[in-house]
Amino acid sequence: MDNAQLFGFFVVMGIATFITRALPFVALAQVEGHSMLDRFGKLLPPMIMVVLVCFGLMSLEIESVDRGGLSALALSIVITLHVYLRHPLLSILAGTGVYVTGIQGFGL
Amino acid sequence: MFGYIPLGMAFGVLFQSLGYHWIFAPLAGVVIYAGSAQFMAVGLLAAGVSYAEAFIATFVLNSRHIFYGFSVMGRYPARGLSRWYLIFGLTDETYSLITARPPQSPGNVCYFVYLTGLNQSYWVMGCAFGASLQSFYAFDSRGFEFALVALFLVLLIEQVRTMGERWLLAIALSASGLTYLLIPNQFLLVAIGLCLVTLTGYVRTGGEHG
Repeated sequence: MDNAQLFGFFVVMGIATFITRALPFVALAQVEGHSMLDRFGKLLPPMIMVVLVCFGLMSLEIESVDRGGLSALALSIVITLHVYLRHPLLSILAGTGVYVTGIQGFGL
Repeated sequence: MFGYIPLGMAFGVLFQSLGYHWIFAPLAGVVIYAGSAQFMAVGLLAAGVSYAEAFIATFVLNSRHIFYGFSVMGRYPARGLSRWYLIFGLTDETYSLITARPPQSPGNVCYFVYLTGLNQSYWVMGCAFGASLQSFYAFDSRGFEFALVALFLVLLIEQVRTMGERWLLAIALSASGLTYLLIPNQFLLVAIGLCLVTLTGYVRTGGEHG
C-alpha cells in the first residue's frame, strides 16, 4: 500500500468512525421519549466493552501458559489499581509496563 | 485526559512497525481520531485488508459510540461547526469527561469544544512523539499492544460503576466465549450482535424499570 492508499485507508476509517458518532444526532434528533434508548445507552456500552476486552485478549496469544499467566497478572494489576486508585493513566501504564517487562525482560 | 499522550505514543510506536513515514501516525490521529480503531488499523494494515473490510471493522468496533450520542445529545449545540466538531471528537475518553458533569448543569459549548480539542491535541501529539521516537531510535516495542486491552479494561470498570444490571456482563462474556469458539474471524460483529439481540429482548420484555 503506497502513501496515497494509506491516506485513503485513514479517510475510510475516519468516515466509519464519524458515522457511529453522528448517527444518533442525525437519526433521532426528533424522537421524543428516549427512555428505552437511555436504557440501551447505559447497558450496552459496558457489554460492548467486555467484548472489546476479549477482542484485545485474542491479540495477545493467551493460549500459551506463559503468555496466559503474564496476561492474567497484568490484567489483575490493571483491575486492582483502577478499582482502588481510579487513576486511568496509572492503571494502564502499570499493567502495560508489567506486560512489556514480561515479554522483553523474561522472554515470555 | 493526559492519558492520551502515552496511549498515543503506544499507537505511534506500534504504527512504525508497518514501515511508513512517522508523520502518518499523527495524521491518523487527525483524520480517524479513535484510539481503539487506530490500534486495530495497525493490525488491519499488516493483514492487508480492503477498504470495505476496514470500513466494516471500524464501524463494528466503534458502534458503541452510537450509544454515547444519546447521552450527550441534550447538552450539545443544535447547529453550527462546533456541533459537528464535538460529534467528530466524541471518543470514549471525551464522553466520560462530559458525562461526568452533572446533567442539570447547562452545557457550556465553549467548554465542550475546549475539552474535545485539548483531548485531540494530546492524542495527536502522543501519536507523533511515539512514531518519531520509534523511527529515530528503533527501540523494542514488543508487548505495547497490551495498552489497548488495559484501556478497554479501565473504560469497562468506569462504566460498570454506574451500571444497574451487572449480570448482563456475564451475558457479554458468554457471547464473547461462544463467538471465539465458533466464528473467531468475525468476532466483533457476531459478539456485539449477540449482545445487542439479548439486550433488546431484555429491555423490550420490561427489564427492571421498563
